Amino acid sequence: MRYLIVLLVVVGPTLTVVGVLSLPRAYVLMATTTSTRDTGLLPYLLPQFTADTGIEVRYIAVGTGQALDAGRRGDVDVVMVHAPTNETQFMAAGHGLCRNILMYNTFVIVGPTGDPAGVHSATSSADAFARIFQNQSRFESRADGSGTYTKERELWMAAGLNGSTFGPWYEKTNQGMGATLTIANERSAYTLSDDGTWYARESSVPYLAVLYNRTEAILRNQYSVIPVNPVAHPGVRSEQAVEFARWLVSARGQSIIGAFQVNGHSIFTPNGVGVC
Amino acid sequence: MAGDILHITALSLLVSGTSTLVATAIAVPVGTFLGLREVGSARLLRNILFTLYGLPPVLAGLLVFLILSRAGPLGALQLLYTPLGMVIAQVVIVTPIILGITTSVVSTVERRVKDTAFVLGADRYQLAVTVLREAAAGVLTAIMVGFGRAVSEVGAVLIVGGNQEGRTQVLTTTIIADVSQADYGHAVALGVILLVLAAVVYSLLYRLQERTLP
Amino acid sequence: MTMSLEVTGITKSFGDRQVLQGIDIRVEPGELFAIVGPSGAGKTTLLRCVNFLLQPGAGAIRYDETVAPPEPAPLIALRRRIGMVAQNPFLFRGTAEYNVSFGLCVRDVAEPELSRRTSEALRAVGMSSLARSRASRLSAGEAQRVAFARAIVVRPDLLLLDEFTANLDPTNVNILEAAVREYNRQTGATIVLVTHNMFQAKRLAHRVALLLDGRIVEVGPVKEFFESPQDPRTLAFVRGEFAY
Repeated sequence: MRYLIVLLVVVGPTLTVVGVLSLPRAYVLMATTTSTRDTGLLPYLLPQFTADTGIEVRYIAVGTGQALDAGRRGDVDVVMVHAPTNETQFMAAGHGLCRNILMYNTFVIVGPTGDPAGVHSATSSADAFARIFQNQSRFESRADGSGTYTKERELWMAAGLNGSTFGPWYEKTNQGMGATLTIANERSAYTLSDDGTWYARESSVPYLAVLYNRTEAILRNQYSVIPVNPVAHPGVRSEQAVEFARWLVSARGQSIIGAFQVNGHSIFTPNGVGVC
Repeated sequence: MAGDILHITALSLLVSGTSTLVATAIAVPVGTFLGLREVGSARLLRNILFTLYGLPPVLAGLLVFLILSRAGPLGALQLLYTPLGMVIAQVVIVTPIILGITTSVVSTVERRVKDTAFVLGADRYQLAVTVLREAAAGVLTAIMVGFGRAVSEVGAVLIVGGNQEGRTQVLTTTIIADVSQADYGHAVALGVILLVLAAVVYSLLYRLQERTLP
Repeated sequence: MTMSLEVTGITKSFGDRQVLQGIDIRVEPGELFAIVGPSGAGKTTLLRCVNFLLQPGAGAIRYDETVAPPEPAPLIALRRRIGMVAQNPFLFRGTAEYNVSFGLCVRDVAEPELSRRTSEALRAVGMSSLARSRASRLSAGEAQRVAFARAIVVRPDLLLLDEFTANLDPTNVNILEAAVREYNRQTGATIVLVTHNMFQAKRLAHRVALLLDGRIVEVGPVKEFFESPQDPRTLAFVRGEFAY
């Protein structure tokens, strides 16, 4: 049957190449957030881990919800996110093997350079949000279940406000931090951002400026790394994931994190705790 | 960045090319068979087919994702976040397109083709090949449309591939990541490459098609 | 080689129109048998029953004294002994050469025999110089000659011709009639010629039958049929008194 021969000759090689590229991986696969990716930390950090241990780590960058879900499904070996409440739930449900607190950066409030709501002179982060509300200034919310969004809701609550009652000035982007900053820039709106993404994107959002940038406990954006529980998902590369988690909170890993800069700004404060 | 552009382009071509080839291998024989059947059971199949036409690529990606995930029925194959997984998703998207167009062009081939071939002694298989040969120009159009859909598609390959650097990044998904990081220059460059790629493949297929016109 | 053809009691209706009302014909091996009659009498329908394009309502057709076998392999073998040239030729996409070689390819004839027989057939109809032409670029006469070559290159034992020179100019008619005669002479194949052109029937046939309103009215050797027919309707037809 000539057809079958042609089929094999034409489709065979390409399928073989694709198949070879898809063989079970020898590397650790991590799920992390788009914010983490957008800071540029990972291309700086991961090769150093590989150099030290010979273990390769690759990642997919998705929303926080999806990253944790990837861990839940056993599609990745380790999860690195910055959503403490969701992480606690994740651990309580038995999806994670152990949780290493890793590092933090800070949330900042950015907005139009003219600062119509007077955020710059706010007395606290909650006060800043209250001023935005009073002024009915346009605000971009990520509204996507991410750590940033969770923090944003916390701040509205701290100001005694209920997000579901807001008028049209409160817009939901349903996207990552980078995209949300772009939208805020285009629409001259306020938004809450982590400083890592902000400094990485500062030059591309000329109509925005950092208006509130202070050390408050509530503005801490805490990162953790969680190897996926091998009991629930026997296929995951648990040993290597744990080694990765340990390296990140070791003196070496922590010093590399502290040395990382985005456009001249040291954004991460290492505060690792080695539970794993 | 130049090194990775090559890698990304090659992967785009490989994934979309392979899925188009596989989809063609499935869709053309089935489409010919359906196109040759006069009435009856073929009608129900054709209705199902036209519904699949309208299947949004991103939905196909979602379904394949749920199936290939470790938590899904085919999880043991570990195909999520691999190029093969992406090919599978694109095959799901492209096959109905090629199948539908092929069925359509085959069924509109003149009745006299079948009669003439029959009278000259063709058996069922030879008859099907003859009809297909007469419809070749239309089938090539189907393949071009299928490839176009595959190479410009972004939702399914993003969901199933995960857009991992160096492993499952293709032109379209990298453009998404670039925009989210405001790397517009890189994104536009990739967009241009995507256009050039499509243009080259189409011109090759047009040439082939010209040779199949009556 | 050749084949005898016997048609007994064949009927065929389309909806409520009964086209064939009981046909009985016997064609001897090697004969050139013409069927004449007005348009719509059922001549084409009869041919299409003989070569399996249509299923008759009732009756039997015997090829070399046996009915068609039901099993697929012997049935295809029988089908491949019967050829047909229809009125408006349908040529496949490609060259004249490709068209002529089609039947040989279907029968898995290999090179160099395939090329040899193809060129021979093209030569027989005077189309050698146009062998490489695209089928779609041929004139009606050229196309019909290619269709004829395509039909005889596989040496059918029974050749059915359905108004195969209708609408052609005299030159092409001559070429094709000569080719038919030559084929019949060379191979001794049986030829059934359907025509409404009485002159053609006179020129080519050994015996002639008149098909009228779905029935055979008269059959006879060509000379008797035209000069002293037995049935008055035959006489009227031969005189051209049928309006059609």
